[in-house]
Amino acid sequence: MKKVIIIPAAVLLLILVAFATTGAYRVPTLEVEFVEERPAVVKSVEYTVDGLTCRGKSRGFAGMISGVEGIVSLTTYARSNTAIVEYDPTLTDPVEIETAFEGPIAHEDEEDFPFKAKK
Amino acid sequence: MRVLRTIVQALFLAGVVAILVRGAMGLTTSTCETYCPFAGLVALYPLLRYHTYTCAMNELHVALFVSLVALTLITKKSFCSWVCPLGTVQEWIGKASRKVFGRYVRPPVAVDRILLNLRYVVLVLVLGLTWTVWQGDLGFRAYDPFYIIFTGFQGHETLWFSIFIGIGVLVAAFFVPMVWCRYLCPLSAVMDPMSRAGFLRLRRNPGLCTDCGICDEACPHGIPVATADEVSARNCTNCLECVEVCPEKGALELTLFGK
Ligand code: SF4
Ligand code: SF4
Repeated sequence: MKKVIIIPAAVLLLILVAFATTGAYRVPTLEVEFVEERPAVVKSVEYTVDGLTCRGKSRGFAGMISGVEGIVSLTTYARSNTAIVEYDPTLTDPVEIETAFEGPIAHEDEEDFPFKAKK
Repeated sequence: MRVLRTIVQALFLAGVVAILVRGAMGLTTSTCETYCPFAGLVALYPLLRYHTYTCAMNELHVALFVSLVALTLITKKSFCSWVCPLGTVQEWIGKASRKVFGRYVRPPVAVDRILLNLRYVVLVLVLGLTWTVWQGDLGFRAYDPFYIIFTGFQGHETLWFSIFIGIGVLVAAFFVPMVWCRYLCPLSAVMDPMSRAGFLRLRRNPGLCTDCGICDEACPHGIPVATADEVSARNCTNCLECVEVCPEKGALELTLFGK
C-alpha cells in the first residue's frame, strides 16, 4: 500500500502550486477614479494596509481618502492588503493620504480606526 | 496508513485553530475562509464576467479551487478525509458514535439516495443567491458550519441561527456519519464528477476477498466495497478505513490508473 503516499504528496504539491500561481489570477479588488479629468502631473504611492481585506473594506478605504484634495485614483488588492493611490503632487502628498485613511470613522458612540499602514 | 492520515488531518485542523486563536488575539485578520477553496468557485463568475473579485474573495481562493479540482481528479475526494477540518471533526464524532452504538447508524438506503442529492440543491441555491440576492457577498457564511465553527461562532456574519446550524451539524454527525459532507456540502457536490473519474482508487481482489463484508460496515460513507471490483463511487474519500479493517492482506489495494 505504498501508493497511499501519493495523497499527502499531491495535497502538499498542489497547495504549493496554488500559492505559487496566485499571480495568474491577480485582478484588482476595487478600482476608483476620483476625477473626471486627470491632472497634468500624477504621482503614485503604494501602501500595504492592515485591515484592507475585502471589497467592502476597500470601499470604506476609498471613502476615507475621497475627501483629500488631489486624489486621482485608487486601486486595491485585498489578497496582499495593497492600495495604490494616484495623486496630484501639487495638491497633496503620501503623508496626508496616509493620515486620511488612518483616521477614525465615527460610529454611534465610539471611534473606529479600521486601517493602519504597515511600515 | 491511518497514522499518516491522522497526522495530516491534525495538521490542517491545528492550522485553522491557530488562525482562530491568532484572530482572537488580534494578531491576524485572516479567518478560516481565507483558505477555503469553495470561495474560489464562487469568485469565478465575477472574475470571468466583470474581471473583479467581490466580498472577501481573492486570487488565492481561485488558485486553491483549481488545485482542489486537480487533487480530486488525481485522488478522488481525499480533500474531505485528509484536509478539510470539518470533515475531520465529523469523522471523529462519527467514530465516537460507532463506539457507543457498536456500528455506524445510517438512514435506510432509499432515504440516503434521496438525501445525497440535497448537496446539488444547496450548491445551486448558494451560487444563485450569491449572485442575485446577496449581490456578490458571501452570504452563505451565516449558514456554513465550516465558517461558523472555525470562527469560534464569532465570525462577523455569524447570526443567531448560525449557532444552531453549527451545533446542529456537530450533533447530527453523531447520529449520521459525515452528515454535512454526504448530504449538504456544496463543495462535495462540485467535486462529484472529478471524483468519479479519480485516478487513484481502490480495487478489490476477488481472489483474496472472502466476502466477509467488514469493509462495508467500516466505510463512513456507506459505500458497498465488498461487492465492487473497483471503488469508483463519487463519495469515496480514499480514507482507507475499509483497507484498515480488511482481514485479508491484499484484498483491497490502491491503484493508480488501474495499476
Ligand atoms: S470506500 Fe473505503 S476509502 Fe472509500 S470512503 Fe469508504 S472506507 Fe473510505
Ligand atoms: S473486508 Fe476485505 S475480505 Fe472482507 S469483504 Fe471487504 S475486501 Fe473482502
